Amino acid sequence: MGAQNSDNNAAKREGMTRRGFIQAMGTGAVGASLSGAALAASHGNEPPEKILSAKDTVKIHLHINGADRAVLVEPRWTLLYVLREVIGLTGTKEGCSRGECGACTVLVDGIPRYACMTLAVEAQNCHITTLEGLMQGEELGPVQTAFVEEDAFQCGYCTPGQIMSVHGLLEKTPRPSMDEIRIGVSGNLCRCGAYNNIFRAARNAAERKIK
Amino acid sequence: MSNDRYHTVGKSILRRGAKERLTGNPIFCADMEPENALYLKAVRSRHPHAGILGIDVSSAMSVPGVVQVFTAKDIPGKNLMGIINKDQPLLAEDKVRSLADPVALVAARTPGAADLAAAAVSVDYDPLPAVFDPEEAMAQDAPQIHAKGNVMVQKKVCRGDVTAAFDKAHTIIEKTYRTSAIEHTYLEPDAGIGFPDEDGTLVIYASTQNPHYDHKEVVSLLGVEDHAVRIIQAATGGGFGSKLDMNVQGFIGLALYHLKQPVRYVYTREEAFLATAKRHPFVIHMKTGADETGRITAMQMKAVCNTGAYGSYGIAVASRAAVHATGPYAIDNVNLECTAVYTNHPFCGAMRGFGTPQMALAHESQMDLHARALNMDPLEIRVLNGVKKGTVTATGQVLTDSVGFQDCLTAVQPEYEKAMKGWLSEPTPAYIRRGVGIGGMWYGIGNTGVQNPSTARVAMDREGQVTLFTGCADIGQGSTTVLSQIAGEALGLDAMDIHVVVADTKYTTNAGATSASRQTYISGNAVKQAADKLADVLLTEAVNYLKIRKSDLRLENGRVFDSRHPEKQVAFSRLAPRILDKGGELSWQGYFDPETVPLHPDTGEGIPYSTYAFACHAACVEVDVLTGETSVCRVIAAHDVGKAIHPENVIGQICGGVAMGVGFALMEEFVPGETISMNDYHIPTAADMPCVIPIIVEASEPSGPFGAKGVGEPALIPTAPAIINAVTHALGKRIYALPASLERVLDASIASGHFNNCYQES
Repeated sequence: MGAQNSDNNAAKREGMTRRGFIQAMGTGAVGASLSGAALAASHGNEPPEKILSAKDTVKIHLHINGADRAVLVEPRWTLLYVLREVIGLTGTKEGCSRGECGACTVLVDGIPRYACMTLAVEAQNCHITTLEGLMQGEELGPVQTAFVEEDAFQCGYCTPGQIMSVHGLLEKTPRPSMDEIRIGVSGNLCRCGAYNNIFRAARNAAERKIK
Repeated sequence: MSNDRYHTVGKSILRRGAKERLTGNPIFCADMEPENALYLKAVRSRHPHAGILGIDVSSAMSVPGVVQVFTAKDIPGKNLMGIINKDQPLLAEDKVRSLADPVALVAARTPGAADLAAAAVSVDYDPLPAVFDPEEAMAQDAPQIHAKGNVMVQKKVCRGDVTAAFDKAHTIIEKTYRTSAIEHTYLEPDAGIGFPDEDGTLVIYASTQNPHYDHKEVVSLLGVEDHAVRIIQAATGGGFGSKLDMNVQGFIGLALYHLKQPVRYVYTREEAFLATAKRHPFVIHMKTGADETGRITAMQMKAVCNTGAYGSYGIAVASRAAVHATGPYAIDNVNLECTAVYTNHPFCGAMRGFGTPQMALAHESQMDLHARALNMDPLEIRVLNGVKKGTVTATGQVLTDSVGFQDCLTAVQPEYEKAMKGWLSEPTPAYIRRGVGIGGMWYGIGNTGVQNPSTARVAMDREGQVTLFTGCADIGQGSTTVLSQIAGEALGLDAMDIHVVVADTKYTTNAGATSASRQTYISGNAVKQAADKLADVLLTEAVNYLKIRKSDLRLENGRVFDSRHPEKQVAFSRLAPRILDKGGELSWQGYFDPETVPLHPDTGEGIPYSTYAFACHAACVEVDVLTGETSVCRVIAAHDVGKAIHPENVIGQICGGVAMGVGFALMEEFVPGETISMNDYHIPTAADMPCVIPIIVEASEPSGPFGAKGVGEPALIPTAPAIINAVTHALGKRIYALPASLERVLDASIASGHFNNCYQES
């Protein structure tokens, strides 16, 4: 953190380039960073000389649920904020905004991520899947259907995150063991305590997807 | 009882709204964004106890984007809230009593501006000495938190002759138990939005367990007519008691009243932790005496609970704790007393069980201590003392019907014995010790010795479509589904064929709080009564139409038919216009209040509840004697619910209660200013869940709808004592304070010698 901060401060003093700013945010602010490919992609097509203040917006491209979206974001905005407040996809829930509860879990390039701990600029050019992206037209997708069938939620607030974690798990591990399921959803808190039914729903979803 | 005699009751039909919750549609308050909504932010106290000398909002008002900053003087009505005793201001006037107390409210065009302005509000505080321990707060010279003194309420229940019974007792056990403050930690932080509708009504959508109470409170704060405010319950992401209090509703009402433009307020997680009710921490001194057979003959209990800065549901917690202190056991001589005390802790209120989970730790530990003293099996001593039909309770109430405690004990017995004989003797690593523990509980359905009626309306339109109007807030437990099933059963309809209008003060009447495990029983009865009235009108008209006597007619699938000649039938859609054209009534109101008698203020004598739920859990745990880590492997949970209207929902409640019970037993402890979010305050994750074996016991309750009682809170209550008893069984050393954290379990392991034995061997 220390080295990043001093670079960042130096950049500020001199009038920071957009490129430098994004780099600082991407690697400095978020531990579990996607950075690599996403950041490289974001650098190529931007004029390096443009000067940004912290409140300036930048245009980024996100592939959300199969559709390309160009959005203007402030560099400090999280992916969660952009999904919910800018784009209006309310399926992704905010439970803590500090990476503790998992209600905001989405898939970024197929991997479950806390959207509250991911900057939108980090997700530049990545493929993002939210609960809405699991819908099959007006119908629920297989993981959602499994959750309904197994009564795997009560209040439903943590459920989008649980579903995204299960979906991510099954993409990687189509036939998960019970331990793999437990670990797969252990980053998603459920205070109603529907955990055992969530495990069953994950099994049910695995069967549905294999069929 | 067979479910075949019922059309929809007893069947786990698809929960209402289940699919809609999983599409991503905006159903929670934080998902809704009325156009041009202003963002609200409360400025909260920086001191646990301080006088307010002045509030300067001028710098806050100059922050760009700020529209208004409100203080107490802007509240047009009565600046006091509280469901039982009104002692909590919406915005502090002359002093703050806890870190959570709001002193000002900012309305701004952006969340950033609201935050900046909130930080810029300058309050001139005069810090006062503070007190956080309730026993210290009872001292003569303790800082005074409210003008009427720090003892908010003392509830007593006395029966028989305790002194004489202790004199004769063979064994006497006296211990002190402590429980922690608990944060509900629902996943949806409190939230609401509001806007004025076209006729000027202030419409508030809120995440709430009691919209009709919110309505009364907002009306009172604003000093307006009832019809000027409309509260609608949005989807509510868990409540567990905390969303019974006014959280954002008053702030939204105040801003709407002055600004007449849309507003929204979504608590951050930190604000939800700091500013909402907690479970009361208890100190319980309990003394029990038993004869040589193990029968408990006397109990003396003195408890002090910390209600924090405000009353909230504290009075209900104190009275329920006193009434439930004996547990589900017949004890003839009792002297029970629970005192709720104000301190400068953030306020405590309702949480799943209202003091009963705290009491259960004490009475279930005492039962095990007596069993051990007399070399009895823990299950055996509970069977010996457990209530039955005819038992007289501490308040002098005779239990006449639906007393399923012994059935619950019988139900867990096979699994308990299997665990005691087989599982316990399986080989484990040297550092793991296994234990099995039992926890019993009883829980009175509905509020304690006070009237708590529910109402409902069931109406049919000209086309024969039935709509159920209920003020009952479904917070995820599935009450809307259950109430639809009850209406459907009465009318011979599928539950899903009934339209529902739920928890909207414009269209529904008061169903009371979604608390005290009361909605299936009380609102269920109100719904059944309304539906029965409508059914009777349909049957009466069908008699005219079919020329068949009423007693032979049945309702099924939207028609009335002759039970002897089913081909003789008439559809509701045909009956409805005939009834209306004759001036008949197709809209019926139901009302139900459980039969109770208020408790005598000195002796506690009375009938606090018309029915009780019972349960027994057996927990199997593994304790790592070197680290203090406790893993709950298995919980067998038998619950007498009267009748499971929706068995899958009942099982959901049981498993959820066990999860919360694991947290209460092993990990949860709210410390103001220290546990600010889930990072510091741990609740059970998927990895902490035991295997749960739910067992539904149905001792039918004659006054319940189709025999039903309730299960929401009972589900949680026996888990923690069962786990503590199991840990004690594993270590041979008892823990008297919750949570049984790693440190406490490790201390017990060291004190019992297991740590040393294992450490030396390895």
